[in-house]
Amino acid sequence: MKLDTIGNLMLLYMTQISIKESISVPSFLIKAAADRMRKPDARNWVPVIVREVENNKYEVIGNSYVYAVAEEAQLERVWCIIADTSEETENIAKILSSEQTPKINLTSATYDDIKAALQYLIEKPGSELKGVSVQTATARIDEAGDRKYWKNLDPITKLKCGITVAKVKALNEIFYLTPEEPESKSTDLQKMTVPQLKALAKERGIPGYSKKTKAVLIKELSGG
Amino acid sequence: MSEVEESGRDALTGLPENAQESMVGTMFIPPLFKALGYNQLEIFPQYNTGNGSVDFALRHNQAGDDIFLQTATNPNVLVEIKGRDYSLDEESTRYKSTVKQLKRYLLSPECTNTQWGIITNSCHIQMFRKHGKVIHPVTQCLEIKVTNIDDIIKTIKQKIYSPFTALTVAIYNNKGGVGKTTTTVNLAAILTILDKRVLVVDFDPNQRDLTNYLNVSPNKTFYSLLDDINEVVNIRDVIRPYAVKSGNSKQRLVFDVIPCDEGLGSKSDSELEQLFKTARLKEILNRVKYDYDYILIDSPPNWRFFSASAVYAADVVLIPTKHNNPFSLVNAGITIKSHIPQVQAVKKDGTPIALPIFWNGERITDPARQVAHKLMDEIIKQSHKTIDLFPYFYPRHTSTNKDKYVFELPSYADIAKYTFDKVPAVYKDKTAREYYLSLAKEYFLQ
Repeated sequence: MKLDTIGNLMLLYMTQISIKESISVPSFLIKAAADRMRKPDARNWVPVIVREVENNKYEVIGNSYVYAVAEEAQLERVWCIIADTSEETENIAKILSSEQTPKINLTSATYDDIKAALQYLIEKPGSELKGVSVQTATARIDEAGDRKYWKNLDPITKLKCGITVAKVKALNEIFYLTPEEPESKSTDLQKMTVPQLKALAKERGIPGYSKKTKAVLIKELSGG
Repeated sequence: MSEVEESGRDALTGLPENAQESMVGTMFIPPLFKALGYNQLEIFPQYNTGNGSVDFALRHNQAGDDIFLQTATNPNVLVEIKGRDYSLDEESTRYKSTVKQLKRYLLSPECTNTQWGIITNSCHIQMFRKHGKVIHPVTQCLEIKVTNIDDIIKTIKQKIYSPFTALTVAIYNNKGGVGKTTTTVNLAAILTILDKRVLVVDFDPNQRDLTNYLNVSPNKTFYSLLDDINEVVNIRDVIRPYAVKSGNSKQRLVFDVIPCDEGLGSKSDSELEQLFKTARLKEILNRVKYDYDYILIDSPPNWRFFSASAVYAADVVLIPTKHNNPFSLVNAGITIKSHIPQVQAVKKDGTPIALPIFWNGERITDPARQVAHKLMDEIIKQSHKTIDLFPYFYPRHTSTNKDKYVFELPSYADIAKYTFDKVPAVYKDKTAREYYLSLAKEYFLQ
């Protein structure tokens, strides 16, 4: 005997269910589907995905379209799957009901992954990236040696692949980043000669570098 | 809103690792009591319960001159403290002995009206409720952290300041034919004779024994109440009084009943699970928990929707068995070992707990008693890795005293006879009345 409701298929009252984000589906699709649902014995065989937010109150996290149709058809009750309340579950429900585009991790993505993602985005109707070459963009992003350290997508604008500062934001729909911390510079600094360190200090604008010892230079360069 | 002032929060969560009992008493306890709303005149340290001294007793002063610190009568809350070095982890033997100690104080003669008991060592805290003779947890044994101290205080205050009057009892055994309905009806009758306000819930729609037994039918159905998410159905329309004139006096005895309806019985368990949560019955009964002293739920055998809902709604579970029905004893073990912990894991407030089992209404010969004991010993032995069944099978058994006492409700043919008359035997028959009085006293009345 299972005592909680997570994972259960339940017949809930529409009044118990609310929706956080409204969907944008052509009203024809909703109205026409609602007509089919108004027939006696019609049942929403594709369930709404909900989670219980407070006692006996539920919130739609997936298949919002089904919910919209049920609402339009003025159904009293609707079949739902009860999901847990975690954020990850909400994301998965949205992705699996095509309400959210899944993202790939650009920090570690392969050439093929990047290409498929860019292709999807560029070929989408009304894409902001229209005219960008999939091949060129993929090749330059894939080859960018410091990609694993990127904290945001801005470096792409410097790759001269047609993705400008104005267009780069669109990529957030398909990419996310988990940048690695650049390796500690201090080990590299240890290998450098004193003149090299001084040159670097000059470049960084560290005052009084010419009189400092190697140890002090390393400390200040790694700290800064 | 924060329940604890900033300064109090530090004292409540920042004690040194090995703080001993005296330090817990001086550092942790004052801000705790303050946060719970007790002033210095409402706290009695080293309170003599008549059965040993408990560390603290609390009660709000009444209007007039009744200062608890001076009168020292009728404490409302008892608090037993330990040092941080004394583990109150729920599995530890020290935890068990501390709970036992608290129960002894709560059941002492000076504390008949006490409602709450708390144990804490400043790392852990657990609250218990006393209802007559029954003591059951109302929280889990909670670990105190900076992040949850406010919630803990809030929970404890909420219970102290708006206490339910009703004790909810599920009468359940996974095995059928152990006299659940007879027990429920006659227990309700005897408690009513004793001036208790009683609600009986028939949650066994396939048999509806209780509803038939008492011959009551509702205005609105139980189903409509379960289905009533928006709380538009008046629960009073579903509750029916069951009244009899008591034998010799002209006194009219009444207890209330929520009868079962066919609508519920016509649906399968899996259909019902698609409509209602296991917690649904409890939600409904919460609406009347201030109106009764006892809510008794008659539940069907088999661990499905109805029995799980009944056990979920309960504070305590009363398990009738028959000494000569081995399956009823084995299933009592399963209920205690498996079903009840499952519910506890979901409810997360320490309830329900099982009351010790009893042998229900059969003639018992000595050899038969030996056979039953042997089986019970075997069940205890087989389960000892998961759970210690001794307190539930042999409540008087201790490591030093191997007492095998089990409460027996004696056999009495007339009890069954009155079932056909649709009147609880307790109302018609002196012997039956005495038997069920002893049952009520064994478990519920102090």
